[in-house]
This record gives sequence, structure tokens and C-alpha cells, in this order.
Amino acid sequence: MKKFPLSCEINGKKIKKEIDSSLRLIDFIREDMGLKGTKEGCGEGECGACMVLLDGKAVNSCLMMAVQIHGKKLVTIEGIHEHKYGKELQDSFVKEAAVQCGFCTPGFIIAAQEILAKNPKASLEEIKEGLAGNLCRCTGYENIFKAVDKARKK
Amino acid sequence: MPEIIEKYYSLKELWSSLNKLNKSRKYLAGGTDLTISLSYGEEKTELWIDISDIKELSLIEDRKEFVFIGAGIKVSQLENNPIVKKWVPALAESVKYYASPSIRNTATLGGNYVNASPCADGVLALAASQASVVLNLKNRRRTLPLLSIIKGPKKIDLKKDEIAEGFLVPKIKHEAVFYKMMARKRFGISKAGLCICYRANNKKLEYVSIALSSVAPSIVKAPKTEEFLKNKKIDQNIVKKACEIIKSEISPIDDIRSQAEYRKEIISVFLQRALQKTIG
Repeated sequence: MKKFPLSCEINGKKIKKEIDSSLRLIDFIREDMGLKGTKEGCGEGECGACMVLLDGKAVNSCLMMAVQIHGKKLVTIEGIHEHKYGKELQDSFVKEAAVQCGFCTPGFIIAAQEILAKNPKASLEEIKEGLAGNLCRCTGYENIFKAVDKARKK
Repeated sequence: MPEIIEKYYSLKELWSSLNKLNKSRKYLAGGTDLTISLSYGEEKTELWIDISDIKELSLIEDRKEFVFIGAGIKVSQLENNPIVKKWVPALAESVKYYASPSIRNTATLGGNYVNASPCADGVLALAASQASVVLNLKNRRRTLPLLSIIKGPKKIDLKKDEIAEGFLVPKIKHEAVFYKMMARKRFGISKAGLCICYRANNKKLEYVSIALSSVAPSIVKAPKTEEFLKNKKIDQNIVKKACEIIKSEISPIDDIRSQAEYRKEIISVFLQRALQKTIG
């Protein structure tokens, strides 16, 4: 296995690391970086539990290779509070009881951050469209929509 | 499993490095399909070449008679691009039906094409827009009709190391309608899809191009239906006849996502709705 000399920024910190080429992004985040907030649900892009922000855009970390973040900025749930709407979303999810088992929550917050950052006035329909790639198997969707809606009104 | 991933940032760097590589190899673009094969243990290629950041592949250019769309363009970049909206409206319209927002941020139009799936939403829109594909191997380019090298599900006739560099869409003034039937409202794979590009003048179709997804081993056009509709004034009778013709020129199959009869029926309903829309 040939190592890849990865350099990137993770949650505001510059990282330089020799990594295995065969690593998916999620494996790198959880195992190499020890950031366990990002979850692996389905491992094939259906559930969105593994979402992270790459250069400000929500992506599924189970559908990318780690080398693809070379030279880019990555934000995981552990660093989202430093971004616009990040802290507000986290507080709002707690306040609106939008968290049941919590496994899907990091992915929902990452997806919601992109929705609000792109359009702070997103309608309920647009919020739903933006969350189309996230599944909550506790089916707590109504509270999640409410939490996203209220996060921007603080 | 890739033992090695090489990453290049320009075509020059890619072509000059190929000679030094002597392993079985494969290109990695967005990665949204390749990573799944990897997780399933189906991926045996030793060397992956990451082309996701090659700058020449992510251009959208308004050229003289054509619009060029780079194969490395991420699907989400198509939705609000002014050149795409103006000249390739079908492609802009297809975006919201295409996978999920986060997959659209990663997946590339070129990947959608070379994956050669009969249900590829991006290819459906490109086919209806009369696109050609530009292939590149060490700066030797071939421009071919979009569907001519797609030989069946996951089968595409590319030479060794050749890449899809982008797509050329002729600048024809038109509007587009994109319909996709899936098991849920969003984020589903198409059971059947229809995309029509058209220009109507006083209810007459001066220009019409129709492509279909998930009704054949690859994305297909509907040439008999197009021929029938061209320069016809759209009324109920014509719509009825066109629906019969389109049903007769497809032969879909039963599979896990849908059934042949249902697919035929849906295509006919989509055509009816689309034709009604063309005359407002």
C-alpha cells in the first residue's frame, strides 16, 4: 500500500498526514482523526448520517476517498459551531426535541447548515428538499423541520 | 481496493504521467459509484487516478455554435449556471430530480455518463439536448454522438486511458420538460423518465427532441415519435397518436424497480403531459 501525503484543513486546523490510499473519507475522519461525531449508517449514500462540509458544501463522507479532500477545507459536526447557523442549529435541535436516538443528527445539522447558509430565507418546502438525503429512522422529521426553521430566528 | 491513488491537477500532468504507470488502473471522478463498489468488495483495480480536481474538466463555456460542459462539473453546479439555464434548460431542470443534494455536490456529469446506466438523469437531459461527447486520449480528441459508444448497462466503448472531457450541446433556442417517475418524491432511481426539448410556435412544434430513461439497456431517443410530431400542430388527436407511437417504439423490461407494462404506460402519460405543456 502506497501512502498518500495528505494536507488539508479540518475544523480550522491545518493537517499534514501520510494516509493509506484505500481509505474512504469517513474511515479517515473516524479512525485516523478520531472524530467520532460523523456516523456511518448505510455506507452507500442513502442515509446522510456521514455528512460533512467540504469547502462549505455538504457531502457524504462514505462516498468519497480521503485523498479527494487534499488541499480543501473540511468541517465535521465537531467544528460546525464555529460556522454561521452551526451553534444555532445545535441549540435549536435540543430545544425542539429534534433528537431521539441521535444517530442521524450530525448529518441533519450539516445538511441544514448548507441550506441556511445558501438561503437564510428558505421556505419549509425548500428545507425539506434540502434534507432529502437524510434519513431519521426514529421518524422525528416534524421536529427536525421545526428546529431548522427556528435556528435562523434567534 | 486501490493500493495507490495518484492525483493530478491538469490534463498536461495527467498525460505526461501515464507512461510511468504500469498497473491496471481506473479513473476516480466524484467517486459516488466507485466507493460503493469498493465497500462491496467488488473493486479490484490496484491504481486509481484521481481526476476530480483537473481544472480543464470543470469548465462551462459558451462557444460559437456550441456550449461546452466539462465532464468534471459537479451536478449541483449545473442548476443555476446562466449558460446551462439558457442553452441546456433540460440539464438545469434535471438537477432537482438527481439523487440527493449532498450527492449532487460530489457526483460529476462525466461520471454519470461513463457509468452508462439506463437510468442516468444527466445523460437523459443531455440526450434530449442533442449533445455530443468529447473524448480525450493524450490530447487526441474524438467528438461523437452522445449515445454512440454506450453499449448497454455499465458498458461503454472507451479506449484504454481515454477520458470523457466534456459535452458539446448545439445552441438551439428551445424549452425543456423533464419528467421522472420514482418510488418517492425525491432521491429515487428512475422507474421511467422522459425529457423533451422543444420550440413551439402557434401550437406547432418547430423543433422537438425526445429522450427516455429506464426503458431500454441504455438511455434512448424516440426518433419515430419525434418524426411524427415535427411541424405538427398539437391537438388532442395528435397527442393520442404520438402516445401510441412512443409506446410502440420502446420495449422495457420487468425488474426490481418496475414492470414493463407500467413503464410503457408512464412514458405515454409523461408524453401527454409534456405535449400539453408545449402548447401552454
